[in-house]
Amino acid sequence: MKREVVVVGERETVTGFALAGVGRAYLHSSREETLRLLRGLLREEGVGLLLVTHRVAEELGEEWRRMVREKGPFPMVLRIPDRTGYRPERDELEEMVRRTVGAEVVVRREEE
Amino acid sequence: MMALSPTRMELLRLRRRIALARKGHDLLREKMDALVMEFFEVLRKIYEKREGAFDQLGKAHSSLSLCMASWGTAETEQAAREARKGAVLETSLRYIMGVPVPVVEVGETVRTALGRGYSLHPSPSLLDRASEEFERALKMLAEVAELEEAARALAWELERTRRRVNALEYILIPRLEAALKFIGMRLDEMEREHFFRLKRIKATLERREAVGGGAEG
Repeated sequence: MKREVVVVGERETVTGFALAGVGRAYLHSSREETLRLLRGLLREEGVGLLLVTHRVAEELGEEWRRMVREKGPFPMVLRIPDRTGYRPERDELEEMVRRTVGAEVVVRREEE
Repeated sequence: MMALSPTRMELLRLRRRIALARKGHDLLREKMDALVMEFFEVLRKIYEKREGAFDQLGKAHSSLSLCMASWGTAETEQAAREARKGAVLETSLRYIMGVPVPVVEVGETVRTALGRGYSLHPSPSLLDRASEEFERALKMLAEVAELEEAARALAWELERTRRRVNALEYILIPRLEAALKFIGMRLDEMEREHFFRLKRIKATLERREAVGGGAEG
């Protein structure tokens, strides 16, 4: 099934992905508005990939995290760095490993 | 504690239930081990791909800001509005140990300058460059997203399975074993009472016989 890509972020992210052919690129304005937008997007059958910048995701907070936890396999959600390359210190993947497998596990990148 | 009737029937029933619960517990444990292995395999792939995708995105942002700085922000944004929109993914599902995870087939996202659809005449090569870098980034990000979704789904299933394993191990099985022990003890006790009663009856009978025999003799 063909599904589209949607982007939510600041101006540069939106512009860049629009240049790459993403049909729906939304500028983040306020927390409430973006949450409402995302809630709708998560329910849309036709959305395959939802890119949200880390900074926006952080501003949306726990409610957004819960929405992501409760959704199905589609749309896929990925948090990406914005123009400034911002990424939070606490990595979501590491949190996931800690929660599911236990604190003693450290995952390292495979050395060449 | 459940209502228990201390009968041999109940004892047998409990033994069967314990055996079944233990078997279920072992199967779930095996499932958990397999899920952990799958989870780490996906995790390894994510670590392999994510940095590259984010680096590419960083590169795309630099060429975009270069374009905005030299050509103009408004012009660049106008071109972005004009650009042809056709970024779609071919998606489907697959199952890892019964857990549905997304699959994306990312075709070629990089387009020719003509294919992008913005008016070519006034657009500088910097714009083409920025577009191309973002197109590259998009493809890589879609692949990372697929993996992250798989990791998320597997982690969730792991938690669910672990809860069930724990419920069996720490609640259901101990409870059944306690019930089994209780019934076993109760049955033993009844056995002793019964034995004692028999002895009493025997003693009484013997005494009666002795008394009767004396009267006769």
